[in-house]
Amino acid sequence: MRLIVGALCSVLALTAATAHAQAQADYPNKPIRILVPFAPGGFVDVAARIVGQKLSEKLGQQVIVENRPGGNGFIAVTAAARAPADGYTLLMAHSGEFVVNPAVFAATIPYNLERDFHAITLVSQAPMVLGAKSDGPYKTLADLAAAAKAKPGTVGMSTPGTGSINHLAGEWIGLSMGVKFLHVPYKGGAPAAVAISTGEVPFGMAAVSSAMPQIKAGRVNVLAITTAKKTPVDPSWPTAQEAGAKDVDLSIWSGLFAPKGVPQPIVDKLYAEVAAILQMPDVKEKFAAGGGEVGGMKPAEFTTQIKREGDQLKSIVQAANIKPE
Amino acid sequence: MDIFSNLVIGFSVAVTLKSLAYCFVGVFLGTLIGVLPGIGPVATVAMLLPLTFKLDPATSMIMLAGIYYGAQYGGSTTAILVNIPGESSSVVTTLDGYQMARQGRAGPALGIAAIGSFAAGTVATLIVALFSPPLATIALKFQPADYFSLMVFGLIGAVVLARGSLRKAIAMVVLGLLLGLVGTDVNSGVMRFTFGAPALAEGISFVALAMGMFGVAEVIYNLEQRGQDRQVFTSKLGRVLPSRAELSFSKWSIVRGTALGSILGILPGGGALLASFAAYTIEKKVARAPRDFGNGDIRGVAAPESANNAGAQTSFIPMLTLGIPSNPTMALMIGALMIQGIQPGPEVMTQRPELFWGIIASMWIGNLFLLMLNLPMIGLWVKLLAVPYRLLFPAILVFCCIGVFTINNNVFDLFQLVAFSGIGYVLLKLGCEPAPLVLGLVLGPMMEEYLRRALLISLGDPLVLLASPISAGFLIAAAALLVSIAVPAIRATREQAMKE
Repeated sequence: MRLIVGALCSVLALTAATAHAQAQADYPNKPIRILVPFAPGGFVDVAARIVGQKLSEKLGQQVIVENRPGGNGFIAVTAAARAPADGYTLLMAHSGEFVVNPAVFAATIPYNLERDFHAITLVSQAPMVLGAKSDGPYKTLADLAAAAKAKPGTVGMSTPGTGSINHLAGEWIGLSMGVKFLHVPYKGGAPAAVAISTGEVPFGMAAVSSAMPQIKAGRVNVLAITTAKKTPVDPSWPTAQEAGAKDVDLSIWSGLFAPKGVPQPIVDKLYAEVAAILQMPDVKEKFAAGGGEVGGMKPAEFTTQIKREGDQLKSIVQAANIKPE
Repeated sequence: MDIFSNLVIGFSVAVTLKSLAYCFVGVFLGTLIGVLPGIGPVATVAMLLPLTFKLDPATSMIMLAGIYYGAQYGGSTTAILVNIPGESSSVVTTLDGYQMARQGRAGPALGIAAIGSFAAGTVATLIVALFSPPLATIALKFQPADYFSLMVFGLIGAVVLARGSLRKAIAMVVLGLLLGLVGTDVNSGVMRFTFGAPALAEGISFVALAMGMFGVAEVIYNLEQRGQDRQVFTSKLGRVLPSRAELSFSKWSIVRGTALGSILGILPGGGALLASFAAYTIEKKVARAPRDFGNGDIRGVAAPESANNAGAQTSFIPMLTLGIPSNPTMALMIGALMIQGIQPGPEVMTQRPELFWGIIASMWIGNLFLLMLNLPMIGLWVKLLAVPYRLLFPAILVFCCIGVFTINNNVFDLFQLVAFSGIGYVLLKLGCEPAPLVLGLVLGPMMEEYLRRALLISLGDPLVLLASPISAGFLIAAAALLVSIAVPAIRATREQAMKE
């Protein structure tokens, strides 16, 4: 009897082991889902759909984008963290979830990058722009800083929300120039950008994709971009550092993540596939339309960037005293 | 004759076999998902998005737009037949539409909704074609204070709109406003009344609330009636199309609804919803006798249905010209355009005229398709009511659950549905209309957002609300409306006092 049980156990163990090895070898053998912490339509959702479509063609399996909006991204990110670590549930997140939230919600954040996730790769990144009404009084960042210095806390700055990466970028520029702006939050990037063009606020911090319609219509001027590197969208836009905001360097990115515990061969495979997808000309073109540049950096490099940006923003949040809780 | 040549460009894009086919697919799918309670255009457009990667931008937008306004047509079908508003803008349609269905006049109700929507769609498409650029600048003139005052006006209108007790209507609006407080505060980012549930961070689910309070509560109420009341509802099917008399009776309601819808649809944020509520309120005040609003007056269907369809068409103006999405479906369409490498905004009109005018021309064709599709189908929908209730109600419940779940893929929303079904049943028993509550829930958070933003920008000066002529105008109109409700009430109590 004992022998039979023993034999059965070893057979079971063997099948389990081979099944495990096989799971990696013939991955993927069923549809993959990518969770997105936003409603359909935003840049993270669009990134997931572009990558998902190509991934599906290359892997021969359906890739389903599942939107789990709400709760500052907590809902989607915790769902991804708790999902089985088999490579069939992935997460497309943006700087907000892994750079901003840990800084802003330090006490209550229910997930942790290193504990819960493998960062696979950075998918796309873009600078934010500091835009001002084109026929308004402010032509340069220095003009703006001078006005804010004369009357602290009265020069309005539109952003897509309190504790958004745009908000923090704006605070960072203010801190580095020694001035305080009046933060005016909106619900989303497009209304925040339109508010600049209507003159509701004198300037705002917007993603390139949100501000582009207003910029192209000639209603909004770009006084600075938030990255240290120039953007191919328009190389004539000055960087914040050139415009006088020392040290400021912050991009808004989207990236692909997998729950911790996914076998390394699967992570490697996903990285290789996605990195190759990001080099396809039509994919590059699609991201460029939204003002983004494709990523594709190695997982370790990506993790380092996230940590560096997270530490940077923690000090901004403390210095600017941002407390949404 | 610039507009003429533009329309020629538009129709040359829209009247190709491919465009016509995709337009038809769009409106057909739209009608279908509109009829299935709960499965909304957002989920459908999201599912079809990958398909559009392979199409050219004009064709994909023609199809996606068709889904959007097709769903507006279909949404009124469930509002009328089973009292479930699929979209916030068809909430008012339930008031008289469902009563008409109960009286065996579902056919005329559906017919007038389709005809009114077509008339409104035609006019609104023309408005979009003629006035897009100047109208976009009107929307830009609206400052936070103006939006706030517009919404105050809308809310006071909602009180006028309620049938029965004024006190109950006020109570419902206030309850709606209070429920609207749940969620993340835009200004400070503080979570209010979420009790630690991240799913509540975006506020109470509108769809769960509307389906629970209107649809499921009605189902419970019907089951309680033990057959007698339901018999009335199912046995008399009546005529399928509205009679000539009914048509001429509601002619002006359609005109008024279209005008209101076209104007309010341009404003980003809640335009179509406000339009349908405002159209109903105005109908109640100005329609000629005999008035029977709340008990199956056909004009109570004609006006809001024309208004919401006109609003759905004109809401393309801020999307196409400014890149501002006025609702989640529009946000998704902007996403679809961006994937195609097109940045929605003012330059679309000048740089891609074939896209801009093609979409506009296709809207009119789509409306025509919808009319052709819907009028013959009315007979079919009405027959649906003859399905025994014991088979119909489980289907309604299942579709409600699927619909609520697919919005956020979150089980928590189903619990919200259950809770609001219970609350809705209690309110029904108490004789409280849920329509003002819904308006309070939707407008409350927006009103707060705009008021606080207006005050933030003015550095706390409340006079900003009177400084702008638009804002001051709406506040004065709201005050006048209040007086008009108050005066007859004062008169009535005085008369009663005199008698005693």
